[in-house]
Amino acid sequence: MSTFALDNPVWNRLRDPRTAGIAGIVLGVVACFVALPPITARSPLYPVLVGIAAAILGLSAALRGLRRLGWGAFAAGLIGIVLGVLATRSSEGNLSIVFTASLIASMFVFSTPLVFGSMAGIFSERSGVVNIGLEGMMLMGAFWGVYGADKGKSWAVGILVAMLAGGLLALVHAYFAIHLRADQIVGGTAVNFLALGITGYFFFQLYNGQDIPIGVSTIPDVHLPYIRHWKYIGPAIGSLNLLVWVSFALVIVTWFVLFKTPIGLRIRACGEHPRAADTVGINVYAIRYGCVVLSGMLAALGGAYLSIGFGGGAYTDNMTAGRGFIALAAMIFGNWRPFGAFGAALLFGFSTALAYRLPAYSGSAATLFQALPYVLTLIAVAGVVGRTVPPAADGKPYKKQ
Amino acid sequence: MTDELVLEMRGITKKFPGIVANDDVSLDVRKGEVHALLGENGAGKSTLMNILYGLYKPDEGQLLLQGKPAVFGSAKDAIQAGIGMVHQHFMLIPVMTVAENIVLGNEPVRDGVLLDERGAEERVRELSKQYGLAVDPTALIADITVGQQQRVAILKALYRGAEILILDEPTAVLTPQEATELFGIVRSLRADGKSIIFISHKLNEVLEIADRITVLRRGKKVATVSREGATEESLARAMVGRDVLLRVDKPPAEAGEPLLQVDDLHVFDDRGIEKVRGVSFAVRAGEIVGIAGVDGNGQSELIDAIAGLRKIESGTIELAGRTLEHATAREMLDAGLGHIPEDRQVRGLVLEFTIAENIALHDYAEPPDAKWGWLFPKKLVERARTLIREFDVRGGGPLSRAGTLSGGNQQKVVVAREIARDPRVLIAAQPTRGLDVGAIEFLHRRLVDERAEGRAILLVSLELDEILSLSDRILVLYEGELVGEHGADVSEEEIGLEMLGGRRTAA
Ligand SMILES: Nc1ncnc2c1ncn2[C@@H]1O[C@H](COP(=O)(O)OP(=O)(O)OP(=O)(O)O)[C@@H](O)[C@H]1O
Ligand SMILES: [Mg+2]
Repeated sequence: MSTFALDNPVWNRLRDPRTAGIAGIVLGVVACFVALPPITARSPLYPVLVGIAAAILGLSAALRGLRRLGWGAFAAGLIGIVLGVLATRSSEGNLSIVFTASLIASMFVFSTPLVFGSMAGIFSERSGVVNIGLEGMMLMGAFWGVYGADKGKSWAVGILVAMLAGGLLALVHAYFAIHLRADQIVGGTAVNFLALGITGYFFFQLYNGQDIPIGVSTIPDVHLPYIRHWKYIGPAIGSLNLLVWVSFALVIVTWFVLFKTPIGLRIRACGEHPRAADTVGINVYAIRYGCVVLSGMLAALGGAYLSIGFGGGAYTDNMTAGRGFIALAAMIFGNWRPFGAFGAALLFGFSTALAYRLPAYSGSAATLFQALPYVLTLIAVAGVVGRTVPPAADGKPYKKQ
Repeated sequence: MTDELVLEMRGITKKFPGIVANDDVSLDVRKGEVHALLGENGAGKSTLMNILYGLYKPDEGQLLLQGKPAVFGSAKDAIQAGIGMVHQHFMLIPVMTVAENIVLGNEPVRDGVLLDERGAEERVRELSKQYGLAVDPTALIADITVGQQQRVAILKALYRGAEILILDEPTAVLTPQEATELFGIVRSLRADGKSIIFISHKLNEVLEIADRITVLRRGKKVATVSREGATEESLARAMVGRDVLLRVDKPPAEAGEPLLQVDDLHVFDDRGIEKVRGVSFAVRAGEIVGIAGVDGNGQSELIDAIAGLRKIESGTIELAGRTLEHATAREMLDAGLGHIPEDRQVRGLVLEFTIAENIALHDYAEPPDAKWGWLFPKKLVERARTLIREFDVRGGGPLSRAGTLSGGNQQKVVVAREIARDPRVLIAAQPTRGLDVGAIEFLHRRLVDERAEGRAILLVSLELDEILSLSDRILVLYEGELVGEHGADVSEEEIGLEMLGGRRTAA
């Protein structure tokens, strides 16, 4: 790039490989979006040009040492071209079915359990306990939420029962991880199977494994009075489920608690250097127990959302279907930070929502697209987004002397 | 200093499985005094202080604060009673700021629930002004030097209102300049009426700073003496129980062929900064070459490069006549390199392994440890037992976990392993860090003996004393370049000047 020795601020910026790489990724996304509503460019030239620019920027970053980011941007450019060109070749009618404002709404539908799960993971892991049992805690929330709502005749009871069940299961994990200093991955896996067993057993015992009565009390949607009728925004956020809004609030609260309060400082200290926390009189065990149990309750909320939230009061065996693990990936993607994890959850939610709409084009391709969130998960875990740094003592049992 | 006693420890006994770490130890501390605690490695100093700080419970004995009995269930109780401790390994969190580390557990609060970051920084600034301990409250711990980290650790104790301050081997990791600064701080704290318990293996430091000195030997208290009348020799004798040679005698070197040859070496650190910039030197059979320098001038990178632990940017390394290009650590070891690494806990030992396993770490796959891919644990234990005796490792047998040994004894295990494999070239990086005088005497003598065996020894140390007393030739490393080469008869001042870059700026 040094041949372009122009004294131009934009060029100067782009000569920094990092900026070039990030710009490349952004352009890669743009390449695909120019062909979609509301812009809907109809000539394949636009996505191709933008995509090539993205690839060049990516290449320049990669050749200057930033390999991951650079090749990532290069790939984003190519994918942008392919998707963009495909979009220009499909009918406008199809496009507007898939890419409507309600796509945003359905992104929130799919991301909400992940938001709860990832915040749950953040609390647990920031205190130093790896919580791979999120999946099971979510599943407990899903089943016992529906049970509580059914027997208690109120979704509020359902939520309470769900949180109680999630918290109890988390307590089991905490006991093994903190008290017995067992391996936390093994313990978490055991907890997942335990949840599968418990919910499976009671689902069969209590509901014969199928008939949850119709008309179970469900968590209401929030209909925003005026905004509902606005263009674009209305369909997007005008009538979301109550728990969706709660999940937004939870992100802010999580950030606030962890980074703005004394208790948050102590939680992070336990996850980074428990002995240091111990020597200033912080009760490491108490903090970790508290965080893991809280983690279980939050994960259960995400599960309850699946059954009595958008699920409309239905339950099926193993209803969570791996969402707990994806939430974990979102947490890692977001570098153990609330807003980062939120962004990752939205991305996963978006890709799922998209996958659900693609049958408008071709059924077989859509099935393939349903793997998108999992592919993103792999990418996240492989650390393409830059090196993620877990809390230093994450997963390490603490032993007082 | 007054005669008022702020602290009395009476008849403290603490047993660990297989060892009595403290045996009926009594200690009293006056208001406004610096009380030094001396003793060999594993004598029980850290244990005694951990009891005082509420981390261990004594099996027997009593604590009196200002004449009143006190029982500490946890560090929290001790902190509340006005006791502060700066641990041998600092208890600081690298990813947090100075202010956050200092207030942790005792945070100032604003509006009922909020962490008052401003207020915390303000308090830290006040404290740091009051005691003359300069720190930047907003800096991350990971970004500041070890000397600054220590100031943070001291401030952390003062923030909690410590009246009795325990400093466990505070100078072991400091450069001489930083140590001098620390003494200034200790003096001003003493003038402020605080009492300080000071643990160190460096007798000259103890004589410089302490008012009274208590000596422990093998868990028992030997004596408490006042500084007046004490000498390095008398203290060393009290510690070890026999006369100690504080300086090694060595015949002049009979250097042979060069065994280690480094030519125009360039090495980068993890952040991509060039730390070794065109270094060339040779170490011949039967000589000790010392590398002097202030910490952070490229010593670690140089050693890592030679040991095959860090990528070489350019240049060559020749070991016993073979040029090794981009050799792995294993290839270097097989070529005849012994390496006593500078950080025993990270690089030297697997703390979770037993002593026997640690000793077998390099040669576990070869006879007599193993044959046809089959390991013979009995052989490991036997070999470990011999070495434990030969190198006087105390506090455990072949099957004890390395992590339970005291710092100094851990070091001896590493040294034993490296010397026992009969290397042609031996790199000794900070070989005596944390060792007591007796152990230092032993190790120094051993290095001189190894020299006589015809090994080439490269000694890297921050202790100028050590370099001067052991080396046949001395190289001075400054900002990644060799700025001076001297015979053994060079003066301390001359090297000191070069270490600070005096020569280069003058030229
Ligand atoms: N947690 C523990 N478990 C078992 N043994 C221990 C433990 N802590 C210390 N010891 C043993 O107690 C003895 C005293 O150890 P301590 O750490 O007090 O020595 P020290 O005087 O501080 O030595 P150094 O100068 O090497 O730091 C040693 O033999 C050590 O092996
Ligand atoms: Mg010690």
